[in-house]
Amino acid sequence: MSEFDSLLQGMNLILTPGHIGLMVIGVLLGILVGVLPGLGAPNGVALLLPLTFTMSPVSAIILLSCMYWGALFGGSITSILFNIPGEPSSVATTFDGYPMAREGRAAEALTAAFSSALIGALAGVLLLTFLSTKIAAFAMSFSSPEFFAVYLLAFCTFIGMSKNPPLKTVVAMMIGFAMAAVGMDTVSGNLRLTFDQPILMTGISFEVAVIGLFGIGEILCTVEEGLVFRGEHARITPMVILRTWAKLPRYWWTIVRSTLVGCWMGITPGGPTAASFMSYSLARRFSKNRENFGKGELEGVIAPETADHAAGTSALLPMLTLGIPGSATAAVMLGGLMIWGLHPGPTLFVEQHDFVWGLIASMYLGNVVSLIVVLATVPLFASILRIPFSIIAPIIIMVCAIGAYSVHNSFFDVVLMLGFGALGYLFKKLGYPIAPLVLAAVLGDKAEDAFRQSMLFSDGHLGIFWSNPLVGSLTTAALLMLFWPLISKGLSSLMGLRKPHVAKTKSVL
Amino acid sequence: MSHSSDSPALVGTRWVELGLTVFTALIGVVVMFGSVEQGIGWGDSGPEPGYFPFYIGLMLSAASVANGVLTLVRWHALSIAFVSRSAFKQVLSVFIPIALFVGAMPFTGIYVASACFIAWFMWRDKVRAKPYGKLMIGSVSLGAVLASYLIFALWFKVPLDAGPMGDWIALAGRNFK
Repeated sequence: MSEFDSLLQGMNLILTPGHIGLMVIGVLLGILVGVLPGLGAPNGVALLLPLTFTMSPVSAIILLSCMYWGALFGGSITSILFNIPGEPSSVATTFDGYPMAREGRAAEALTAAFSSALIGALAGVLLLTFLSTKIAAFAMSFSSPEFFAVYLLAFCTFIGMSKNPPLKTVVAMMIGFAMAAVGMDTVSGNLRLTFDQPILMTGISFEVAVIGLFGIGEILCTVEEGLVFRGEHARITPMVILRTWAKLPRYWWTIVRSTLVGCWMGITPGGPTAASFMSYSLARRFSKNRENFGKGELEGVIAPETADHAAGTSALLPMLTLGIPGSATAAVMLGGLMIWGLHPGPTLFVEQHDFVWGLIASMYLGNVVSLIVVLATVPLFASILRIPFSIIAPIIIMVCAIGAYSVHNSFFDVVLMLGFGALGYLFKKLGYPIAPLVLAAVLGDKAEDAFRQSMLFSDGHLGIFWSNPLVGSLTTAALLMLFWPLISKGLSSLMGLRKPHVAKTKSVL
Repeated sequence: MSHSSDSPALVGTRWVELGLTVFTALIGVVVMFGSVEQGIGWGDSGPEPGYFPFYIGLMLSAASVANGVLTLVRWHALSIAFVSRSAFKQVLSVFIPIALFVGAMPFTGIYVASACFIAWFMWRDKVRAKPYGKLMIGSVSLGAVLASYLIFALWFKVPLDAGPMGDWIALAGRNFK
């Protein structure tokens, strides 16, 4: 098996003390940003990006991806102990995790969450290992129209599948595209949308937008809600871990189902948040202890956590093979790859063999390292949350400001960050999604290039997007996804079917 | 933007909603305007630079207008308060200092501005039963600044603008030698 050989090669590459050290640092930083309010995985990765420019791409991606895993784990700590989801994707974990902690079963809930998360993540990596080369090989035959159709599919899925109002998703996405267009046009070299302001010549960086929208926006929301951290205590002993592990096999079917949901939502741009909610509601529907859900049912912790991590890891599959990130964090990492001079997409697997397999190998190891680190450091990170907000908040804001500044060493970026912060606050309060904005800001130039080249091929006829069966079916699928809310409404009214669980998940959000 | 902080009454969600749609629609118009400047047609070498962004701007404006219309349709349902006055005061009490912090940065440098910002934030916290002592405030703010210097400037070689303070220290260091 060539995948297996490549994987061994990758393992060989990353099994050095330096890389393992980076993993531990990445995981610790990840848990930290996952635990702190206002900082999350997309934000943490954006803040860390400028620091990785001096590293080799393999070391840099190990650091960033481990930060991602750490943040996913960290989000569950606050969900279970404090009833505060550190990440949007761990909201579903609070439903049963916090009641368990109230009953004094915090250690059990945490162990179950982390262990099932690891299973989900490993399933995602397995999928990545054995599917990515095939998808990349298939995508090698893509040319510009196919690539644009794939981008279109990703964006339309976001609009059609989002829990936010479709038109608000469109607005957020178009702002991202507009941001990407500012600055030098990659084809003609003209300066666009700069209005003769030299300060806009370098364009608007997506990192600044991410830091402002997620970081400052989140802080403002937190302040408004007047959050007080009152958490449960947890001590994880080896005995609790073993006892919880003994219980896990009983839930094998929940784990398998959640993994499938997670992998699917991760590959399609549904993202970890949607995956965890869907998996939770499915688990509740099929469980024998249905009435115990929401009151501290172990299964209600296992299901969203497995799906969350499966989606988080499999989001890297479309990112690496097609250049399309499945989540906001993956989008930021993709931006990082481009800054390091790598071109995500099918050619990456040929040209950067070591990098790709180093990353995949590091995902196996990184997730195991995460589990060990997170089990050992829960009390430490829980105590960080007990530091008063008036100390934590200004430090987070300072880190955000420094992060925005260090992107281009420019104070203008810090001002932009503030503007994006205000926008992020309004967006969050009014139900505009932020992830599509980030995705469009990162992918805008590539999507535009693909579109313009397709138009060149066809002399400006849109018919090129239906010129062969492959691109035609991709484009049609994209349009189906775009109008999915209307189509599904039509179908269900046609068949007289009502889906009560859909309404329920929505009301929970 | 759509903060109506000067209005005495609590602002309704509908006004904020409407304000944001106007704001995004305006961005769309600006994008379209900028694209037209670059040419949105078909040049010698295919699509002109403004070709793609123009439609982005158009879609942005169109979607914003549609959002605005939806807001008007749901006008009565959206009469709930966007934010209570005390909560908004809280938000402003954090947002204004951040704005001052950001505004002061180019003049004082990052380190001085950050230290002052953290110190002020801690000093202002009167909600706590016991205010922070001077020693506590000083050590936290200076410690955070020192840590950021060590991590960013020293270990990762990302230079942070130290402002005039940094110049003085550099000058003093040179004279000392």
